[in-house]
This record gives sequence, C-alpha cells and structure tokens, in this order.
Amino acid sequence: MLLEIDNLCLSFGGLKATNDVTMHMEGGKINGIIGPNGAGKTTFFNQISGVYKPDSGTIKFDGKRIDGLKPYQINEAGIARTYQVINLFKKMTVMENVMVGMHPRLKSGFFASTLHTKKQREEEKTIREKAMDLLRFVGLEDYANEQAGSLSYGQQRLLEIVRGLASDPKLILLDEPAAGMNSTEKVELNYLLHRILDRGVTILIVEHDMKLMMGVCDRIFVLNYGKKLAEGTPEEVQKNPEVIAAYLGGDET
Amino acid sequence: MFLQILISGFVLGCVYGLIALGYSLIYKSSGLMNFVQGDVLTLGAFLGYTFFSLLKLPYLVSLILTVLVAFLFGMAMEHFVIGKLLKKNVLAIYVVLATIAVQYILQNSIQGIWSTKMLSYPQIFSVSSIKIAGVSIQTESVFCIFMSFLCMAGLQIFMKHTRFGTAMRASAMDAKAAQACGINTSLSTGISWGIAAGMAALAGILLGPIYGVFIMLGSTIGRKGFAGAIMGGYGNLIGAIVGGILLGVTETFVAGYLSSTYKDMIAYALLLLFLFVKPTGIFNERAISE
Amino acid sequence: MNLRKNLSVKNIVILAVLLLLPVLLTAVGFSYGILVCCFSFLYIIAVSGLDVDFGYCGQISMGHAAFFAIGAYGSVMLHTYCHLPVLLTMIIATLLATVIGAIIAYPASKLVFHFLSLATIAFGEIVYSLILNSPGGITNNAVGMFTDPINLFGFSLDTNTKFYYFGLVAVALFLIAKQLMIHSKVGRAWIAIRENPHAANGMGINVTKYKVMAFAVSAFYTGFAGAMYAHLVGYIGPDTFTQKQSVMFVTMMLFGGTGSLLGPILGAVTVFVMTECLRVFEQYQMLIYGALLLIVIVAFPGGIYGEGKKLIARLTKRKGGVKNAAGN
Repeated sequence: MLLEIDNLCLSFGGLKATNDVTMHMEGGKINGIIGPNGAGKTTFFNQISGVYKPDSGTIKFDGKRIDGLKPYQINEAGIARTYQVINLFKKMTVMENVMVGMHPRLKSGFFASTLHTKKQREEEKTIREKAMDLLRFVGLEDYANEQAGSLSYGQQRLLEIVRGLASDPKLILLDEPAAGMNSTEKVELNYLLHRILDRGVTILIVEHDMKLMMGVCDRIFVLNYGKKLAEGTPEEVQKNPEVIAAYLGGDET
Repeated sequence: MFLQILISGFVLGCVYGLIALGYSLIYKSSGLMNFVQGDVLTLGAFLGYTFFSLLKLPYLVSLILTVLVAFLFGMAMEHFVIGKLLKKNVLAIYVVLATIAVQYILQNSIQGIWSTKMLSYPQIFSVSSIKIAGVSIQTESVFCIFMSFLCMAGLQIFMKHTRFGTAMRASAMDAKAAQACGINTSLSTGISWGIAAGMAALAGILLGPIYGVFIMLGSTIGRKGFAGAIMGGYGNLIGAIVGGILLGVTETFVAGYLSSTYKDMIAYALLLLFLFVKPTGIFNERAISE
Repeated sequence: MNLRKNLSVKNIVILAVLLLLPVLLTAVGFSYGILVCCFSFLYIIAVSGLDVDFGYCGQISMGHAAFFAIGAYGSVMLHTYCHLPVLLTMIIATLLATVIGAIIAYPASKLVFHFLSLATIAFGEIVYSLILNSPGGITNNAVGMFTDPINLFGFSLDTNTKFYYFGLVAVALFLIAKQLMIHSKVGRAWIAIRENPHAANGMGINVTKYKVMAFAVSAFYTGFAGAMYAHLVGYIGPDTFTQKQSVMFVTMMLFGGTGSLLGPILGAVTVFVMTECLRVFEQYQMLIYGALLLIVIVAFPGGIYGEGKKLIARLTKRKGGVKNAAGN
C-alpha cells in the first residue's frame, strides 16, 4: 500500500470535518474521492498535504508516518499537490513556476547559489531542460517565458499539475482539476491523467464531475459528512444504495 | 511613595489606553495601522493650551473644542489620504507610510505654528491637590484618570448600545454585507478614524497640564501605545484599555523602583514578547491572525 | 554572468564615467559631490539589502536602522576597544548584524504584515535605547564616538576620493551578489514566498527558513552599510539611528521601486540628494519631506523604476519581450 490512512479525525469547534476515516490506496492507480458539497473532501486533502494537523489517527506514506509534518516536508517525502483555487506564482514565468516545483530536489545550498559555482550552474542547466520537458508534456512549451498570470484558465490548471509533477512525486493530489474546464478540456484531462500514471506517479483526485470520475478512476472513495460512506470500483460505488441516497438527499446536481 | 507611583502609573496608563483604543478601533474598522495618533496627542495638548491659556476659554470648553478639531482632523485624514489610497488598491506598506508622512507633516506644522519651547498650562482647578489616604495627589492627575475612564466607558456604550455603534461593528465584520444592509461603511470608517483622533487629542489635553507641552510629547507615547494595544489583544476595545493601563503602571513602577534608564525599553520589550509568544494578547483577540 | 555579454559599449561608458567622476567633480570645483557619491554608495547597499527582504521575499522591516547601528557601533567599538584593524572590524560587525537579524527573524517570520512592522519598529527602538543608555556607557551614550577611516592593509582611506573607489567596489560586489542570489534557487524560493507563501510551502519550500535567510541577508547588507557610514563620517551618535532612519530606508526603496536591481539604486540616490537639498529649509525639512513622500505614494505607487517601466511598456506597446519575475 502506498498511502495508508487509519482512523483519521479532525474537528473544527465541534464540527467533525473528518470522522474516523480509514482509506488504503495502492500505488500505480488512479484513486478518486467523491462526495456531496461539504463532505469534507478538501479538508481531508489538506490533512494529507500537511496544511491541517489531524486530531488523531495516522497517515502512512510508503511505510513512513507523515501525519503532523509541515507541507514542505510532505512534499519532500514525495507527495505533490494542486489547489482547488489556482495558486500559481503569478508574476513568475511559466518556466520559473515549474523550477520552483523542483526546489526540494535541488542540492545547491545558499552559498553555492550565491556564488553560482560550477556544480550549481550545471544543476540549473539540467533543471531548465527538465522543466522544458515537463512543459512539453502538457503542451505549454511555447509559453515558457510568459508570466504565469497571463495564461488562460485551462492552461493555468495544467501548469498547476506540471508544477506538482516537477518535484518527481510518487503521489500527486489533484484538488478539482476539472473545475471550470469545458468538455473538450475534460477529455484531454482524462488522457493526461493516464499519461501521468504512465510516468509512475500515483494519482489521488477529488472532483465533482461524476462522469469524469467514473470514467477515469480505478478505485473510488465516497465521503459524506466527514465519514467514509463507501469504497470500491466505480461500478460498485454507483450501485451502492447508501451512496445513491446521499447524493439524492444532498443538493448535488 | 507607592500610592503616588501607582497614581502616576495610572495617569500614564490611561493615556496609553486612550491611544491604544484608537489603534484598536481603526484596526477593527479598516484593518489598518495609524502612526499619527501620537502626534495628534501633541496637537491636542497645543490646541488645549491655545484655547485655555491664550484665548482664556473655560477648561471644559477648551477640552470639547480640542476634541472636536481633532475629530475633524481624523475624519479628513481618512477621507483625503487613506480613502484615496485604498481606492487605488495599493500595497499595505503605502498606507502605513502615508500615515508616517502625515505624522511628519503634522509634527513640523505644530512646530511652525507654536514653538519649539516647552509650554505649561496655568493652574486649572482652584484646588491644586487632593489628599487620598494621607498622600496628596495633583488634581489634574485625578481628573485625567476620571475623564479617561468616562471616555472609555462612553465609547463602549456607544459601540454596543447605539444604532450607529452597531452599524460600525457590522461594517468592521463584513463591509460588503453591511453595505447590502444599507449601512454607509465609508462614513462609519471615517467616524472611527475621527473618534480615534479625538481620543488621542483628549489624552493630550489631559496630559499637557501634568507633563507640560512640547513637540515630542506624543510621538514616543504614540509608539509605545502600540505595546498597550498588542498586550490587550490588537483590535479588542476592552483589551486596549487594560493593556494600556498595565503598560503605564509597569513602566512607572520599573522607573520608580528599579531604574529609569531602561524605562523606555520596557514597552518595546513587552511588545516583542507578546508578539512572539502570545500575539493574541491577554484577551485572546483573533483579529491578529491571518 | 557572461563577461562578454556585459562588456557592451554602454556598460564601458558607464564604467568610465564612474571611474572618472571624482576627477571630473574636482575639476569643476564641486568636490562636495564626491562625498554625496560616497553616501549614496552606502545607502545603495543598505536599500538593496532591504529590497532582498521586502521586494523579493515580501517581508517588511521598519527597523533596519538597528542593523545600520549594529554595523556602525560594532565596528567602531571593536576598533576602539580591541584595536583591530578597521576593515576586519567592519566584517565582524556585519556578521554580528547578520546573526542578530537571523535571531530576530525567526519568531518574526510568523507575523503578518502590520505586526511584522510593529515588531521591527520595537526592535529598532530597543537597539536605539541601548545605544543611548548603554551598560557602562560603552557607546558613550548621547555623546557618540569618534573613529578612524578604513584601513586597507596599511593604506588609509582618509580622503573622500579614496573612499569613493572603495565604495564603488563595495557597491559592485554587493549588487552582483544580489543578482546572483536572485537568479538562483534561493531567489526563486523568495519570490515564490512573496507571491504565495502557502503554495510555496506546498511546493516543498521551507518558508520559515527562507524568510529568515532573506532577513539575515538584508541585515548583512545594511550592517555593512552602517560600518561604511561610521568610517566615512568618522563619528557616530545615536541621532543617526532613530526610527526616522528606518523610514528613510523604506522610503528610498519604495521611491525607487521594489524587486529590481535599478530601483534601490535610483531610490537611494534620489532621496539622499533630495534630503541634502532640503537642508536649506532646515526648519521645514520634515514638512517638505512628508509632503513629498505623500505625493510620491499617491502619484507613483510603483516607484521611479516601476512607473518608468510601465511608461516604456506603454510607449513600445507590448513589443514582445520576456517578462521575468526576478527583474533585471
């Protein structure tokens, strides 16, 4: 198991945002989390990526405990993420955004960076090439020197994903990557997710778009009011009466 | 000795309290910091001196006039400088720097209008001192404490129990929602800057007769007043008073019993200590967090 | 940094002018101008340092006069009491400023804007009152201290012209170092933190560490500038290291334009020359200074460099060009 989450709990002043959730995820798969609005999906994500510290329970990644670590430590451990609201470094170039994503893998320290030692220059050259490769991977290579803020919405979403991939993660957390995308872009996203998987990166995705999720995910986990309602293959989940009830009862469309 | 130090600590503490109250009020209403407060205190002391000593008006009339002028100054500053900057959507540092620029202008103008010399108020009350528990206390000190408490209580009542106060609290919490309810948020922000300036000027006219009137009277007090506001919990109105008084008393006792050399440092050390260890202050005000 | 690329005709002309400036100024009988240049140099270093902290990493400091003071007093006191040669004392004092900067930055890095400015103001005031009321009077308190000029291995920089060349080299070194830092992993991390601290953290950047680093670097720059000041003037007193000095640094930085190489240079020189000119109006110096500051804030929020760039961009109307967050 790549990611083992056991009995995770977190409450905000009496509200149980995550209530005793246990999820085990295999590597090399596309895992999805669905649930009605307010089911606590993003809160759950934020605990894996270290933004929130869980009240109790454990998160094991690749056999090591990562709960309670800071976001940058979790990224160093091999979990990258994207954000629900686009969180790019808007005034940096597209290329620089990807290069920031590589930060935890760079070896040069402060003095090597200030003196631009030979090793540092070689490293910079390598990561520039690598960043360009990544941009080609999603088709943003022509925008490498544009400001990230000047990209279109869909392109910014793609940049978020490559920036995450830049740190060579074993797992990438995608928080509603299809939000605001049109149907063509969604088809491309579906294809892109499989290509990411082919690079050896496991995916955990939170998304509203049921059609996309049922089509792309190998395994789906359903959250409702902070609790895990069900898990299984898309077919199993779709047939689950509890899941159907939760969706009909909620205001999900 | 003890009682006398306590009283003078309270006098200073009340002044810090009035200044800190202004800081918290402005922070609550507009999320900003205002570096002019201290120099408005100086302005108040000079205005009071002019009305009372030069124009021979009764002390209470001078006091009211002074507060009124300062109130208008505060509102004008919000309207003509701060409001203009906020409309341009500039970085917060520019607003901070703008208040510092106004501070320089005000300080230099006061110096130009009045003088660089130290002025002193003529006697205000027919009785120069009051005996409390066998210790004679300057009447002005007692009056200063009395007036400060009156003003602080008045502000609390105003904020909690009047329609206008409620409107101000509402626009501080959520400006857009308040606007939707028909509250004139820019007016309420302006008035809170006015009240803050009015309180600083009041502190000036109360402190002037005790400390004397001079250019630099307010600027140090203004900067130390931040310590009071932070100690109480920045943005908390009761906290500002408690923090201010605590600061004044601590400072006076340290100067009286330990050493007056490091008196000035106490306020800043407390400011750092609270910011680093307990940024929410004694009253656990959450306004300070992101 | 490609040497051949930098040796364009324009750069050679600038270099020649800078090298010949003292001779030219003396020739036209305006040797006071050399002193103005010397001061400008040290302010450029101080403000460039502050720009690393604010312009690139997004942390404000309203108390950098404290590091200016630590550099100045540290160097003078080491020279007076330990009889170390002046250049060495400057380096030790600068390192001291850096260490103190790092220590203060660690808890301060958690504070948001307004409260960070208050914390830095408080720190500045503490350092100021320590100078004014030093334990055992080691700083000579209000009287201040006299000191010797910089001594470069037996060669004393006892004239303004000699100091000019020293200052020129120092400015060049500090600015090159700044550019190298900015165009590296470290600079990218700083800009990322400025743009979006939460995302930076999520991308594997230790935000606290890099914030402390930026603050310490800026303390290093300002500390060295302080030491230069002390040995240029030959005298230091507490009045130079008040809150007003900190505000002056911030003003210079904003006036010039943040997050750039040229901005702090333009800002430091313009504001310094301006305040020198205002000395004529002694009595109303602060009034005019405050009014100018207000006008600049309201009219040119991007600073000279920022507004100039906007103007050029408008004139050339988006004629391609690569926009780079690190500036140039």
